[in-house]
Amino acid sequence: MTPSMPETSPLLRAEGLAINVGGRRLLSDLSLTLAPTDHLVVVGPSGVGKSSLLRVLATLDPFAAGELRLNGRTPAEHGIPQWRRQVTYVASTPPPLPSTARDWLTAIAALSAQRSAPVGDAFALASDWGVAPELWDQPWSRLSGGERQRLALAVAVSRRPLVLLLDEPTANLDPVSVERVEATLSQRTCVWVTHDPRQADRVASRHLELG
Amino acid sequence: MTGALPLSLWQVGAAAALIVLNGLLSFGFGLGLEKKLAVATLRTLVQLTLLGWLLLPVFQYANGWLVAAMGCAMVALAAREALARSSRRTRGDWGTTTIALLIGCGSTAVLGSTVIIGADPWWTPQVAIPLLGMMLGNSLTGVSLGMERVLTLLDDQRGLVEARLALGATWWEAARPVAAESLRVAMVPILNVMSAVGLVTIPGMMTGQILGGTDPVLASRYQIVVLFLIAASVGLASVAAVLALLWSMFDDAHRLRRDRIQRQPQR
Repeated sequence: MTPSMPETSPLLRAEGLAINVGGRRLLSDLSLTLAPTDHLVVVGPSGVGKSSLLRVLATLDPFAAGELRLNGRTPAEHGIPQWRRQVTYVASTPPPLPSTARDWLTAIAALSAQRSAPVGDAFALASDWGVAPELWDQPWSRLSGGERQRLALAVAVSRRPLVLLLDEPTANLDPVSVERVEATLSQRTCVWVTHDPRQADRVASRHLELG
Repeated sequence: MTGALPLSLWQVGAAAALIVLNGLLSFGFGLGLEKKLAVATLRTLVQLTLLGWLLLPVFQYANGWLVAAMGCAMVALAAREALARSSRRTRGDWGTTTIALLIGCGSTAVLGSTVIIGADPWWTPQVAIPLLGMMLGNSLTGVSLGMERVLTLLDDQRGLVEARLALGATWWEAARPVAAESLRVAMVPILNVMSAVGLVTIPGMMTGQILGGTDPVLASRYQIVVLFLIAASVGLASVAAVLALLWSMFDDAHRLRRDRIQRQPQR
């Protein structure tokens, strides 16, 4: 379990979480706190519930017991879409998008929860990570796995959520891109799932061991 | 109307003999369709004969409540038929479908009977029941295609829908592209019919009226009215069914509940 944090006011707090998957108790009595710019790396063998934990923190899956708070307020108090705008889950494999990354960015910016939110420059982020600008307008189906992963991540990061929930965000990237993505993310607050122990050592400010 | 030419049971039997030809074809080519063909033939025979005997008293007594009861039974059966061959079901989809068909077909059949055809009384069974039947026959195809597409898309594109949700989309913002695609699919058959009608086929109702001795010009006018009513009923019923189904697939916390989809064994 997590070593306790010095009491700076936590950004995200989970208390006594229990998570069921398919009627089976996967995780129980799990607590964590996250302060600004924390990098909590979740480690453990496959199937132990790392991705499930991220999905629960994003309120994409229900939890059986416990409590979630962001800045002291529950998801219901924030409103679910607002919670997810601020605690944003990025899946390990980006979904197949119907058209281009630019259309995706436009569609996300038009969501009611996102419209008035402060935003960064997704194009600059992607460019920092070695993605050529013209790829924003390529059909999604013609992009490589690594290109998709960086573009999808750039869209999510550019929306400036308070907490990023990252499920193997660099799994398809070459070492140079990995380094650049890690550099950008080091200034953000993240819960990070990775299977690469060296990456865990590089990015973690704290570890959460499951299983 | 001059009335239909009389048709004896012998003549019906002669037509049935043609089905035997289909059976021989199936046997000859080893298609294995003999049993299905026999069942389908029997169903046609029994269902339509029963319908004729059932409509006789409804037409004779001309009672509004009797017409309403008949209409409700037709809607419920259409809902069952719309779902019978779907590859995915959800709990309560029969109720959803029934209500969607009732809204789409009931309203257009009443509109057609009162305002457009001007039947007096408006529930005159000879007008209301065939009208409702035609609305239902077409709408059940639209509703069935639309609902099937909703569940297929939610199953296949779960990642995309959840990626929208994860970035702060409300359930409706995440589901709207699925709704649009499903409604497009639901409307395709009736749009095809409306484009090809008169060029390729003489539609069933018009054929019936012409065989029954109606002037073709008047028959075509009736057919136009009915097609427009059908298009409206397909649109209304499909929108109602697709939206209700989508709504039922998300919970209060804007979560996609794919666990509510039940895959059906394919026959």
